[in-house]
Amino acid sequence: MRSRRNLYISLIMISAIAAVWIGLSLVVTNSYYQLMLTLVPIWAVLGLSWNLLSGYTGLVSFGHAAFFGLGAYTVTIALVQYDITPWLGIPLGMVVGTVAGVVIGYPTFRLRGHYFALSMLAYPMALLYVFVWLGYQEVALPMKRAAPGYYMQFSDYRVYIALAVALLVVSLLISLAIERSRFGLSLLAIKQNEPAAEAAGIDTLAWKMRAIMLSGALAAAAGGLYAVVQLVVTPDSVFGMLTSAQALIVALFGGVGTLWGPLIGSAILIPLSETLQANLGDKIPGIQGVVYGIAIILVILLAPDGIFWRVRDFLRRPRAAGLGPVNPIAPPLAASAPEPAPPQRQAILTVSNLSKSFGGLRAVADASFTVGDGEILGIIGPNGAGKTTLFNLLNGFLPPDGGNVSFTGHELIGLKPNRICRLGIGRTFQVVRAFARLSVLDNVVVGAYARTARDAEAVAAATAALAQVGLVGRAGALAGSLTNKELRLMELARALAGQPRLLLMDEPLAGLASHEIEDMLEVIRALAAQGTTVVIIEHTMRAMVRLAERFIVLDHGAILATGHPGDIVKNESVIEAYLGKKWAAIRAHG
Amino acid sequence: MTPFGTFAEIFIQALVAGILIGAIYGLMCAGLGIIFGVMRVINFAQGEFLMLGMYFTFYLVIGYDLLWFLGPAVGPYVGALIAGPVLFVFGYFLHRFVISRVTGTSVAGTESEGHYPQLILTLGIALVLQNGGLILFGSTPESVRTPLSSRAWELPLLYNANAALFLNKARVVAALVSIVVAGALYLLINRSRLGKTLRAAADNAAAATYMGIDVDRAYRIAFGIGIGITAIAGGLVATYNPFQPYIGLDFVIIMYAGVVLGGMGSILGAFWGGMTIGLVQQLSTLVLPTQLQNAAIFVVFLLIVMVRPQGLFGRATERI
Amino acid sequence: MLTVERLTVAYGGLTALAEVSLAVRAGQFVSIVGPNGAGKTTLFKAISGTVRPSAGRILFEDADLLSVAPAQRAHFGIAHVPEGRQVFASMTVLENLEMGAYPQAGRQEWARNLERIFALFPILAERRGQAAGTLSGGEQQMLAIGRGIASSPRLLMLDEPSMGLAPVVADVIFERVEELHRDGLTILLVEQRVAEAVQSCDFGYVLETGRVVLEGTHDALLADDRIRSVYLGM
Repeated sequence: MRSRRNLYISLIMISAIAAVWIGLSLVVTNSYYQLMLTLVPIWAVLGLSWNLLSGYTGLVSFGHAAFFGLGAYTVTIALVQYDITPWLGIPLGMVVGTVAGVVIGYPTFRLRGHYFALSMLAYPMALLYVFVWLGYQEVALPMKRAAPGYYMQFSDYRVYIALAVALLVVSLLISLAIERSRFGLSLLAIKQNEPAAEAAGIDTLAWKMRAIMLSGALAAAAGGLYAVVQLVVTPDSVFGMLTSAQALIVALFGGVGTLWGPLIGSAILIPLSETLQANLGDKIPGIQGVVYGIAIILVILLAPDGIFWRVRDFLRRPRAAGLGPVNPIAPPLAASAPEPAPPQRQAILTVSNLSKSFGGLRAVADASFTVGDGEILGIIGPNGAGKTTLFNLLNGFLPPDGGNVSFTGHELIGLKPNRICRLGIGRTFQVVRAFARLSVLDNVVVGAYARTARDAEAVAAATAALAQVGLVGRAGALAGSLTNKELRLMELARALAGQPRLLLMDEPLAGLASHEIEDMLEVIRALAAQGTTVVIIEHTMRAMVRLAERFIVLDHGAILATGHPGDIVKNESVIEAYLGKKWAAIRAHG
Repeated sequence: MTPFGTFAEIFIQALVAGILIGAIYGLMCAGLGIIFGVMRVINFAQGEFLMLGMYFTFYLVIGYDLLWFLGPAVGPYVGALIAGPVLFVFGYFLHRFVISRVTGTSVAGTESEGHYPQLILTLGIALVLQNGGLILFGSTPESVRTPLSSRAWELPLLYNANAALFLNKARVVAALVSIVVAGALYLLINRSRLGKTLRAAADNAAAATYMGIDVDRAYRIAFGIGIGITAIAGGLVATYNPFQPYIGLDFVIIMYAGVVLGGMGSILGAFWGGMTIGLVQQLSTLVLPTQLQNAAIFVVFLLIVMVRPQGLFGRATERI
Repeated sequence: MLTVERLTVAYGGLTALAEVSLAVRAGQFVSIVGPNGAGKTTLFKAISGTVRPSAGRILFEDADLLSVAPAQRAHFGIAHVPEGRQVFASMTVLENLEMGAYPQAGRQEWARNLERIFALFPILAERRGQAAGTLSGGEQQMLAIGRGIASSPRLLMLDEPSMGLAPVVADVIFERVEELHRDGLTILLVEQRVAEAVQSCDFGYVLETGRVVLEGTHDALLADDRIRSVYLGM
């Protein structure tokens, strides 16, 4: 995925930060600054946990305080009521955080966008009221003079700093591992375009659940350590709005979707606000909140993805534009003359009486057809004919009102899109949404996850797919620098990385100039020659006439005609569909 | 009195309290309804505008005593009403310079309709207002008391000479004012030309532009009205509830719960949704300890969002 | 009345319209046809102001339309009946028509226009209190056209009125549009379905991939077989 070099750089940076931090802790004696050195890593960990869920998936959580608070209270209650040391209490809290992640995630993930955010807000607030009602207004951790070390109580403050740094390093390593693995890329794919991710074989719900479980565990760990350090826990300090906001702000300010973001954010914002609070807090109470508020407003307006990305984009920009080696697009592999079509092809996809209506509108009306193994089939029809709806039915995005779809013996109706992808059906979409800041290879590799559990194999499959479309020379380029045609090819490569048996292409030629169309047709022809069955949606036959052997004409959801281009063009109902019923009549009468 | 009689008395008292408080919740939900339900803009700072309405009324009536000539019984309510137009202006310009960057035509058509930036931006605004309020107003709870605040009407309940219903006068007046204002809002939005223009702009911005409507200006006005209405509700709450700069948070979930319950896109629905939330809150005290009454609202909110996202009055076409 | 001179619209590396020129004279019925993706809707959007052209001019009665803000163009007398109807679904039929009468000219002649709209589309009178979102496709199209008439326009632009409608319903729509034209309204029609558009027009243009490939009077176009190849590709 990412080069080894990047890995080493990241590891070195993490070690450096840890070393610097420990070094600072050895020289600083002021107790206030010592507290700060402890808090910054803790908030950074909370920010990292938020990033894990919201930064990567794009589902904004306003409720991470729920996990933080549960972790804090687990440690506290375990110590106060059951005399369990925080060394055990914190892992226990992490378990609680994980379970909370499942309990919260499962119902809430069914919600979209703003409903998700609002619901996530409700959880910590509800917990706050519950804990107040339970009588935990203010709980102090008791001093254990007999065996302080056993109870994670140290007179030397620097030990706390070391613990906080240790937790930070662990969190950074976890985030690093995730970012570099399919976990991170799958989450990013979900953020970028969830339907496309599903169609590429990614089980979006499973990944989201994994993300929230891990996120909950880390946030709870931060909360547990917070309790140990602060020695007093109140519902408001751990479940409060400001805590959730802090998680969000720290990550947002520093940079979403990257492990360095929360670190940068905490390192800048926490000392800033705490210092202001300490110096001006008496005269101007609430200065902390105002600073955070202004910070967020400025960030969202000026650098919506955070400082890290703004800086990186700025640094990367000249290189991408100027130096980019203008690699000629390598000719697609094995572009031999297409074999003469075997007279009889076995049907691998059979559609019977498929119907779908929206309200009173019949989008697909009793459609039946077959697709032969290895053929190139074109589906055409005027605007609004139901072509994309048909694809959405085949892919599993829409449940049909009636009918059957059978693919190599498997019944497709009722299966989720990612399952259908695993069975061997790939899909490209009209609108290409790429990860602009990642390389072409990273964009493509998510398509290979459905095929193999091993990351190295996935990379190999992705590279092979790139070679098939002729983009292998651009594998390392940033996707944001690609031309329209190259983006289309990249989208195609992503679908190919899953090694589909049947490929559904939705208007692959739209918006391409005529010479670009030629290149695209070449690529598709080569695919079919290698045995992939291709079904293409387009508006007219003009471009596809040289490509497809057979056409289906759709209008108002019903199949008007099937057959070879020459026959289709003379078919009266087809002419009627495109030109209008009266056309023939008018021409006949003049 | 029989146990049943006692229970009935408590029940009716809670019911009436729910209606009275529900009327005010209804008004504040109607305000949010314009912004969230109709314009589909997420405003996280809605509670803070409620708070600003409270403090505006406070300073107008008590702090600077500018309405002395109206007397202590009428002044606070008029003050609350004045908060409306003042906060309207504030909301109008806030939208023009800040909020419009993440709403309307600049983000129309994007996948999430700009909700993510809206959430974050309004969160920032909320923090600034909350804490700015803390700096300006101090943290001591204030209230706008009227002579009616500590008086109540006593209505005998017919079934037993000993049973009676106590109606706090201040709350009753506040509820009545709420209903009147809500009614005026309804007429404005549904009957006036301005109201129809706003609805058209929110319904289909492209088509509205074809009609010759300045959609950006319509959004600003709608946003301002939503803020103004919420501010009035705040001023009314101030007459019976003490408040401090962080009070907005308590009401945010109430407002969103009411709007979602009532069904998106319907201001009338939002009002009824708020009313329902008020009833839920007060009736829940019959079975739950008072500290958990707000937790009950959260549970209701979560249930609505998951089970019936189109709310009670909304169209089933509303997708989650 | 309306002159489009060498209009070019390009965005993101894509050229939607390339040097398109056309003219609509007062009282004329002009049709623009062409297969999907030909740029017809882009053309309308440029005239309405939703899309900014990269080159070219649009003149409406000698006024430079490109310097007029989109929301102002309706007040000049250009009524745009959008693709896909785009009625205000949450408002009633009558309220939709009221919104159509937003420009000054529309408000002044409200009573007269309303009478005319109801005479042309009686079903709208019947359903005047109904929410527009509950109307059938054909009824919504009538409403959208009615909304356009309510502004007392000088030019009525219709974007693919037959899209998604059953052929019988589309026939009725075209009949009514022809009636409007006979009463003196200037019409600019964009259609995918060629027959009706060419039959009713005085003058027609055929667009393909952003360029005008054919133009001519009603008679000239009907006699030309090239239209079929433009559509079907062979």
